[in-house]
Amino acid sequence: MQATGATGMSLEEEAKLVYGVVFSLRNLVSKLSAKPGSDGFISYRTSTYKLHYFETPTGLKFVLNTDPHMESMREALRTIYGQIYVEYVVKNPLMRQLTQSGVHPVQNDLFRGNLQRFVRSLPGFE
Amino acid sequence: MLHALLIINKAGGLIYNRDFTDGLAKLTTNEYLVMAGTFHGVHAITSRISPVPGSSGMEVLETDTFKIFCFQTLTGVKFLLITDPSQPNADATTRKVYELYADYVMKNPFYNPEMPIRIELFDSNVQKLVRQTNATG
Amino acid sequence: MSQSATRASSHGRRPPILERNLVKGRTNEVSLPAFAFLFCEMLSYATKKSSGIQDMEKKLSDFGYRVGIRFLELIVFRDRIGRRDTRLLNVLSFIHSTVWKTLFGKPADALEKGTDNEDEYMISDNEPNVTKFIAVPKDMSQLSCGAFIGGIVEAVLDGSGFPAKVSAHATASDQFPLRTTILMKFDKSVLLREKSFEPR
Repeated sequence: MQATGATGMSLEEEAKLVYGVVFSLRNLVSKLSAKPGSDGFISYRTSTYKLHYFETPTGLKFVLNTDPHMESMREALRTIYGQIYVEYVVKNPLMRQLTQSGVHPVQNDLFRGNLQRFVRSLPGFE
Repeated sequence: MLHALLIINKAGGLIYNRDFTDGLAKLTTNEYLVMAGTFHGVHAITSRISPVPGSSGMEVLETDTFKIFCFQTLTGVKFLLITDPSQPNADATTRKVYELYADYVMKNPFYNPEMPIRIELFDSNVQKLVRQTNATG
Repeated sequence: MSQSATRASSHGRRPPILERNLVKGRTNEVSLPAFAFLFCEMLSYATKKSSGIQDMEKKLSDFGYRVGIRFLELIVFRDRIGRRDTRLLNVLSFIHSTVWKTLFGKPADALEKGTDNEDEYMISDNEPNVTKFIAVPKDMSQLSCGAFIGGIVEAVLDGSGFPAKVSAHATASDQFPLRTTILMKFDKSVLLREKSFEPR
């Protein structure tokens, strides 16, 4: 669920770090928040990038990295979940077979193609 | 509205924390200490996982109920300001807190660097700054 | 000395402080942070080397005395063209305005006569530059870092021929939490001499 690279480490290693970061931040935010149980973590920004975060009620986490000046990408992530992930991954009748044969169900061309197209259509994509 | 201020030393230890409003959950000192440690680690990783080389650590964290502004000095001290999501100019406020820190903490002969800050003069000046900011914001 | 000063300035650089003309040195200012850090080290030295708060104040006052006695030499040369005050009130106002202005960039905030004793005078500063950044911890609450200023005043009085016992006290008020008062108790000889000036 990570659309980056170029950090000089393997994608797997990077994914672990990203997971660690969003997991810690999510906990930190829910601890600080006066409203109990709110999962309010939306995004964070450094000098060179902005990480947007969206979590589904089932605990699936979506992360999108953008330019630091981008507005909130919450809606975009919600669309990726509702109209691309659910459609082409969850509803894929071959999902179980794929998983059994050791391929992650996300790695199917339909999902990738649609994701590509959607992200390219977003405002701010160059 | 400024909710809270935390200062974390370069080793990730919490050396100062103050709540200014009731806008956040009440945490114990111990929980704050753990939080500071977590933040310190996360801050370091966020600069490593940047898709663009040469990134700083996290500068702003947004949630639906508050924002955290983080300003790290060249010497590695981090100033964390927890504010309302709509707070303008919180970046400038972190710089002002740094100035107060430089004046009333570092120039105080009775302060041991890296240790928790218990200095009345610093406290009162921080309070003054927060009152001013919260009155105009 | 003046020759080398002109040479340095002809190169477009400011001459080093030791080569500048003594008389024209009045507008030279030292960075307050730089002084604050130096004073920090002086205080921690005094803390390390002393056994108690009184001892520490004595050390600070000694530091001040060394500054004051040299400073008097300079300021008399600069501002008084070598002239020296003989009357008590003149000396006090000289300290209150000229000395304070040259040292701290502003006159002191009050000059008062002690109410209980004939021989006591007080100079107060609402926010002394020297202790601007210092918050004294609770367990040392009697310590007055103004002892350093006290030392300077004592030296100036001594050097002018008005020996006195000088002490510094924190006289904080709500409006001025850092207010410091320098108490001067003059020697008997000074008062006797002062009396002899008065017309009979």
